[in-house]
Amino acid sequence: MVNRDAIRYCTTSRFFELAVGPLNGVRILDLTHVWAGPLATRVLADLGAEVVKIEGPMSRGPRHFPGLSIGGFIGGAPGNEPWNTNAVYVKLQRNKKSVVLDLKTNQGRRTFLELVEHADVVIENFSARAMKRLGLDYPALKRVNPQIIHVAMPGYGLSGPYRDRVAFGPTVEPMSGLTDAMGYSHDQPRNTAMAAPDPTAAVNSVAAVLTGLRHRAKKGSGFQIELSLHESAVATNGPWLVEEQIGHSEKRIGNAHPEMAPHGIYPCREDDRWVAIACRDDSDWRVLCQLIGDGLNPDLDFDQRRQQQAEIDEEIASWTEEFESAELVFTLQRNRIPAGDVRDTQAMLGDAQTQHREFFVPLEQGTPMPGNPIKMTGISHADWTPCPKLGQHNREVLQEWIGMDNDSIDTLYEAGVIVDKPPR
Amino acid sequence: MSEANTTKSSNGIDRVLEVGSYAAGYCGRLFAQNGHDVVQVITGEPEPAWVSQRSMNTYLHADKRRVATNNKNLIQELAQNCDVAVLEAPTADAIDEYGFDDWTCPVKVAITPFGRTGPQRNWLATSSTLLAMGGQTNLMGDPNREPLTMPGHFVDFQSGGLAYSAAMAARFARQESAVDIGKLEVVMMLSQFTTVLWTCAKVVRSRHANDFWTVVPSNLFRCVDGWIYMNIVPHFWDPFTTFLDLPELLLDDRFATNGGRMKHRDELHKIIADVLINWSRREIMRRAEDNRIPLGAVLSFGEVLSDPHLKARYLWQQVKGPEETQEVTSPGLAWRIHGEPRRDSLLHDIEVL
Repeated sequence: MVNRDAIRYCTTSRFFELAVGPLNGVRILDLTHVWAGPLATRVLADLGAEVVKIEGPMSRGPRHFPGLSIGGFIGGAPGNEPWNTNAVYVKLQRNKKSVVLDLKTNQGRRTFLELVEHADVVIENFSARAMKRLGLDYPALKRVNPQIIHVAMPGYGLSGPYRDRVAFGPTVEPMSGLTDAMGYSHDQPRNTAMAAPDPTAAVNSVAAVLTGLRHRAKKGSGFQIELSLHESAVATNGPWLVEEQIGHSEKRIGNAHPEMAPHGIYPCREDDRWVAIACRDDSDWRVLCQLIGDGLNPDLDFDQRRQQQAEIDEEIASWTEEFESAELVFTLQRNRIPAGDVRDTQAMLGDAQTQHREFFVPLEQGTPMPGNPIKMTGISHADWTPCPKLGQHNREVLQEWIGMDNDSIDTLYEAGVIVDKPPR
Repeated sequence: MSEANTTKSSNGIDRVLEVGSYAAGYCGRLFAQNGHDVVQVITGEPEPAWVSQRSMNTYLHADKRRVATNNKNLIQELAQNCDVAVLEAPTADAIDEYGFDDWTCPVKVAITPFGRTGPQRNWLATSSTLLAMGGQTNLMGDPNREPLTMPGHFVDFQSGGLAYSAAMAARFARQESAVDIGKLEVVMMLSQFTTVLWTCAKVVRSRHANDFWTVVPSNLFRCVDGWIYMNIVPHFWDPFTTFLDLPELLLDDRFATNGGRMKHRDELHKIIADVLINWSRREIMRRAEDNRIPLGAVLSFGEVLSDPHLKARYLWQQVKGPEETQEVTSPGLAWRIHGEPRRDSLLHDIEVL
């Protein structure tokens, strides 16, 4: 049996002695799914937290995969265990442990609550009513562990008129004002195609968990933290929302910028290759004029450059088309003008800077996965572990956390409450 | 505990020094909103922003003490007396010029476009060049023309958010720590399935305007008073036909599977467009709620400010500036602890050192 106090009061000085990631010893039960939640818990795991992913028996799909995965399979093919090779899923689960528990069963819920007794954080991104329906809402968690921090990430929050709306990142994005601000022209808005509220909520969730852990150390007891996709997205648009009240913000201005000109994305010599160029001030502009040669007036001020934007962009485009993207970026950077080529994944992987900093980590059968941009003392991807197989840590976690014996675990297996393969 | 680990301020309140631009400003905002003692050092002219400096200041710098100096020795001295120092600069060399490695505060965070190491550590960048290099721009905009960058300060704020988390993690663990955040890596980390689609399926994700492409229907549609975005993953196809008042679509073999809907994309889009063009956003969202399907109305920033849901959930805080008589509404933190409402804020005047 583990020393519960040593685990529960994880904010004590014992962490000071550990030379590994700063969250070493913090125990997180991860009920999240899709993108925002799993990305948040991946970052927390990268920082050293012990993240146990609590998965339903079918959470990774059926035993016989029905079709293609949206991001393919690790190793290029589904293999014998397609539920363990779905690349989109695998990408988000490194450094975590996997425990399968069917929370729709009484025994599954009881076991989960036993784990909660030994956890610091429970994080989930179910719909607003789901945890209550499961009998696992904050009051239920708090009853078994008053120290627990419950992070709830429903799309529109736990209260308010929209709380029962179905929310995905791409459908929340327009509700934040961002879509209305983005577009080639006033005719029609454009979305980011990257479901911006999801990664935004992920970054906010990591910050919220860290804030919560320190808040608990001060306060002495647990609490619920609520973070919605919607509010995450809206909060990030704060400058525009303030400007709306006191000034006028430009919107749907294509690749232009209200305070930089020229500022655009221009074609290169290769087919469908582009380069982003930004002149921050008059000095950048003069240098660019010098590089391009005849045709542009280096004495134009910002307002004049904005007024003549279309003509200037045309001149720049006819110049950039002469060069290959990499060559062009080197030329502009050498002359201290911010520029970057529009890259696909292959180009990102091959980039000298990315390779030098070992950002992509070949963790999953050699497949490069995006690393963690937080480079700090005690963090190294040398000791990272790949995505666990479904239920890989059932026995280990149930024994170590709650002292469950082998016979009891076998009984749970027999009842189908825990599994290590999707049911037939 | 060593002296270096001693909290300069009392009661778990950190003294935070913030030097830099909008990423450092966002990091400092998170500290200030959580009750820490933040000093913002203004070293020169602000970088270009998407809105006026008054709006940037109101949003980013409320509840901080604000000083102006470009004296690097003085800044280093201030850094010696804080718990957390956040320094953002346009290049790695510019970080070094502050003597950052000699700063002795327990936790120090450097934010640069490309990180403090590597052959491009001194390259210059803006949000648009980083979004391009980080693989996001390639996905945004229409096919067969130039891609579209994302307006606003997404890159700065995500970088600032991770800087805050790194510093908070170190403070939580009571570790001394030096943190190096490269904004390009932040952009690359926030990729959805684009990276694995290439590495595992050898498919380059391409751009399709507002169409998610691999899930149909997922696109923007015009309605009576604006635009509606939908993301009908296969699970929602049945209720979606009820939403449209066209249950007969369920019997149409062309649309029976997502594959079929992809194949007959244009026909399906026309059917949907013909229905939605007669409905208002309010009506559409009410029907979406009734039928439990994922839709979102395109709202302007003015409409977001008056959104009844956000009001009911107390997202907003009032910020008053030093020269203004009128309070301005600004979003509070994205998260709430224990359901506590966001508190009002004050934007302080700048003291020149």
